[in-house]
Amino acid sequence: MSIESKTLVRTTRSRPVAVSRSPRGGPPTSPLEEFEQVYVRNVDVLMGYFARRCREPQTVADLTSETFVRAVDGFAGFDPRRGSDRAWLFGIASRVFARHCERAAGGRDAVTRLGGHRLLDEDEIEELAERIDAERSGAALLRRCEQLPAVERAAIELVDLEGLTPKEAALALGVSRVAFRQRLSRARSRLRKGASEQ
Amino acid sequence: MSKFTDHLWRDLVNEHGPTLAQTNRPDPGRAGGRLLRRPRILAGSTLGLAGIGATLALVLGGTAATAPAFAVTRSDDGSVLVHLNYVKDLNLPQLNAKLHSMGLHEGVTIWMASGAASESGAVTCAPGAGATTPVRVLVGANGTETIAAGQSAGNTAEGSFHLVHCLVTGDDAAGNSGNTGAG
Repeated sequence: MSIESKTLVRTTRSRPVAVSRSPRGGPPTSPLEEFEQVYVRNVDVLMGYFARRCREPQTVADLTSETFVRAVDGFAGFDPRRGSDRAWLFGIASRVFARHCERAAGGRDAVTRLGGHRLLDEDEIEELAERIDAERSGAALLRRCEQLPAVERAAIELVDLEGLTPKEAALALGVSRVAFRQRLSRARSRLRKGASEQ
Repeated sequence: MSKFTDHLWRDLVNEHGPTLAQTNRPDPGRAGGRLLRRPRILAGSTLGLAGIGATLALVLGGTAATAPAFAVTRSDDGSVLVHLNYVKDLNLPQLNAKLHSMGLHEGVTIWMASGAASESGAVTCAPGAGATTPVRVLVGANGTETIAAGQSAGNTAEGSFHLVHCLVTGDDAAGNSGNTGAG
């Protein structure tokens, strides 16, 4: 049996719901354990990212799921020496949401097209509805940012809402740090100006 | 964690756990910064040392007076023992040809660390994606490779080194390419 298989058996048998507790603090000993740590560190933040954009709990669940499924597919290419896992995941999440919007704008059922996700039970729907409700202030900020260019809106959101460093946010958006700081500065300036005029 | 996130993790493990378990990750020693990686030291068909940085410059000169750079032995059970006395770029094509002639098409990546090996003998490579041949690697006479000062031109590392981890993968699965994102 390979090293990876042994780890998987231990994980799935002894920890069927592994995220019910924090993973151990030491370095991961397998790709699965490493991914688990990435998941635990980021799932709540990503859920909030989608909760600020979507009003339906099922949609939030599907987009969060879709992001992590894509993360699994791309995990071999993720190198933490090049940037944080959060920045990497936000890059994926932004593409997942963009695709969702394209499909919704095209009149197609984006949730159905993403496919393969299970339906939530009542408890989960309630949890996610509460989360959507809790993100109202963030969603309101996003609405205030609607007059900004998309790149500046993304800059505000990743730094001021999600708490990424400018370096991480620049990586997530695929732009240089200098360019990102300029966008962030412009975005904040526009928001301040807009608030003072109201 | 909420019920939703618990269930999502359970589903990810159930549906994608085997994929994750077989994922080739970048250097596992990156966090501590103690391990030195030698990318793609051995491979069945495309052997090379491309990408080795200054900190990985363990390449030895391998003068005529030194021991042979490598030896490959195949056991009756199909497993392979690769004995590395010196990792010398000029010898790698020869080693590649040797492995290829033996019908081996796997890539083996080894990670070295400074200091002597705590246990002597060969290290069994962990089987990664696509690996079909059990491979063991023995560095030096007993698991420790010693590089002397000025032993070769361009050699930036001196002292004792040992192999701490070894991974064998199918040719298509070996290596990693940095961040590519997804989607």
